Amino acid sequence: MKYLIIGNSAAGVNAIEAIRRLDQQNNITVISEENYQIYGRPLISYYLSGKIKYKNMFSYKEKDFYTKKKANLLLNTKVNSINTKIKKIYTNDNLSLEYDKLLLATGSLPFIPCIKGLKQHIDNKKDSNVFTFLTFEDSLRLKNKIKKTSKVVVLGAGLIGLKVVEGLSGQVDNITVIDLSDRIMASVLNEIEANMVKSHIEKCGDNVFFKLKTGISEVRNDTLLLSNNTVIDYDILIVSVGVKPNVELAKNAGLKIGKGIIVNNYLQTSNKDVYAAGDCIEYEDLFSNNKKLYALWTNATRQGELAGYNMSGIKMKYSRYFAINAISFFGMNLLSAGITTGKDIHNYIIESSINTFHMISILNNKLVGFVLINCPNKRAGIYTTLINDGIDISTLDYDITTMKNIKFSIYPKKNRTKKMWQGAA
Amino acid sequence: MKKIYSFEDKCLGCKLCEVYCKTARSKSKNIIKANKEENIDSAIIVEKTNKDTHFALQCRHCTDAKCIKACISGAIFKDEIGIVRYDKEKCVSCLSCVLVCPFGAVRKSDFNSTVTKCDLCFSTGKPLCVSNCPNDAIKFLDEKEIDDRMEIVK
Ligand SMILES: Cc1cc2nc3c(=O)[nH]c(=O)nc-3n(C[C@H](O)[C@H](O)[C@H](O)COP(=O)(O)OP(=O)(O)OC[C@H]3O[C@@H](n4cnc5c(N)ncnc54)[C@H](O)[C@@H]3O)c2cc1C
Repeated sequence: MKYLIIGNSAAGVNAIEAIRRLDQQNNITVISEENYQIYGRPLISYYLSGKIKYKNMFSYKEKDFYTKKKANLLLNTKVNSINTKIKKIYTNDNLSLEYDKLLLATGSLPFIPCIKGLKQHIDNKKDSNVFTFLTFEDSLRLKNKIKKTSKVVVLGAGLIGLKVVEGLSGQVDNITVIDLSDRIMASVLNEIEANMVKSHIEKCGDNVFFKLKTGISEVRNDTLLLSNNTVIDYDILIVSVGVKPNVELAKNAGLKIGKGIIVNNYLQTSNKDVYAAGDCIEYEDLFSNNKKLYALWTNATRQGELAGYNMSGIKMKYSRYFAINAISFFGMNLLSAGITTGKDIHNYIIESSINTFHMISILNNKLVGFVLINCPNKRAGIYTTLINDGIDISTLDYDITTMKNIKFSIYPKKNRTKKMWQGAA
Repeated sequence: MKKIYSFEDKCLGCKLCEVYCKTARSKSKNIIKANKEENIDSAIIVEKTNKDTHFALQCRHCTDAKCIKACISGAIFKDEIGIVRYDKEKCVSCLSCVLVCPFGAVRKSDFNSTVTKCDLCFSTGKPLCVSNCPNDAIKFLDEKEIDDRMEIVK
């Protein structure tokens, strides 16, 4: 039996661990296009700011992780194609490897919008002043390129774009964030919350400016033509308008693709010996019957683990997922999960001030979402679990819609003792 | 593996466990200094119920710990024994762990940017909260012993 894993990040590494829990014997090979052992991908912006030093970039797993798990790691190797009929993969350096069970943990790729001049600037990789921000390599290159005098433009005011802003603030002359939307992090935040976070970034960031409801029409060598027909100078442009699932390999291998790679409840693709997990798959959302894409570390680790279990022979079904965000910018914490808008959803604003916000969302007697800004001390995981478990809130010992500090004693006695004693809620 | 179990009917709500937890987590290990001078969070939480009774709660060291799955930096991990531990040197304070803990037992510190969670006093193997509870409302027991008592709550 040979296990093969393509992608050595959140999903891939958690799959290795799960397989080894059940199978200490058989061969595991993991292949990565990147040249590093696993690192927490979200840490790359902390490397940019200097908060995380080079050696601590690799703290996710100990150095001898792969040896201990008897996993053969092939770095700097790209899988070019898969032949699912004879169960073989082919790499860029003419290696071919056989597998019995294959996991695609190929993650996401930056989404590159169609803007005149953009593609040729990005393609010109090595010394280009146009960046995407998804890998440690991107972070190293960007850190090398910036100067105290750099005028930086960030295209896209989503999580990654704003993390770049935080990472670069104080190290460059100024940063302009451009986004077509009327607010920042539009996919996660409503207007009130978005404004709160934006004001905080403007206040704490060093020369950070926002140009919302604006796009870039053309990328030139050192100027940008904006959608409002103005022209601005730039030294460095970072394109962070979002990510897309990396499905090329799967698609060319003839696997079924929707928005992402299509998997069943056991994370099996349309080919029974090929599994997929993490950012590259689409999955059912807890709140709609639509397939969704979430690029989230937590979901990727859990799916990787589950795929690992299923590959090594025990059947484990995956539950539905929902969006869950823990984000901080310049010391402001944002914790949110689930959904806060939609038909029949009632929002309860429990606390609100200039820079704090605490809101929960109820639909049909169930908690479906919440947002906490600058309330880091709330025990938010209790909310997340109520959403996950679909608990009828009228069965709880407290009315959570008026509760300032959520606590575990919301659960009736029998329930809570059982949960606490079993060590799983 | 041994964990700390809470017996609600015995809890007085005196919060001595919190006092001793802070002591155990302090630099000085001195009860007065730890509680008065050093800024230490308690990893054990005494909760009051709607019936005015109390119980103590701390990290359950879950078998399938959600906090570990959520951690982006490897700061939260399971050691060889099964204790869910936290290494603040690796933490970037994203609070992903806080966001997923079903018990609300991984909390942001009141004093700094780290998070606070129970590590079962792994360095001594003797949780101070347990040895100082005046009424045996928290006990350090084997999973098996508690499984036998599960009947009570069923
Ligand atoms: C700056 C930044 C901040 C983020 N912050 C957060 C956060 O705070 N919270 C959160 O939940 N999520 C965050 N994310 C998202 C999170 O990092 C991803 O959801 C997670 O990394 C997905 O893991 P994955 O294993 O699915 O894939 P990825 O991490 O994308 O890894 C896929 C790997 O597969 C490799 N690969 C792909 N194709 C091939 C091939 N053909 N051959 C060989 N190797 C291949 C790639 O090189 C890559 O190394 C952030 C992301 C970024 C970029």
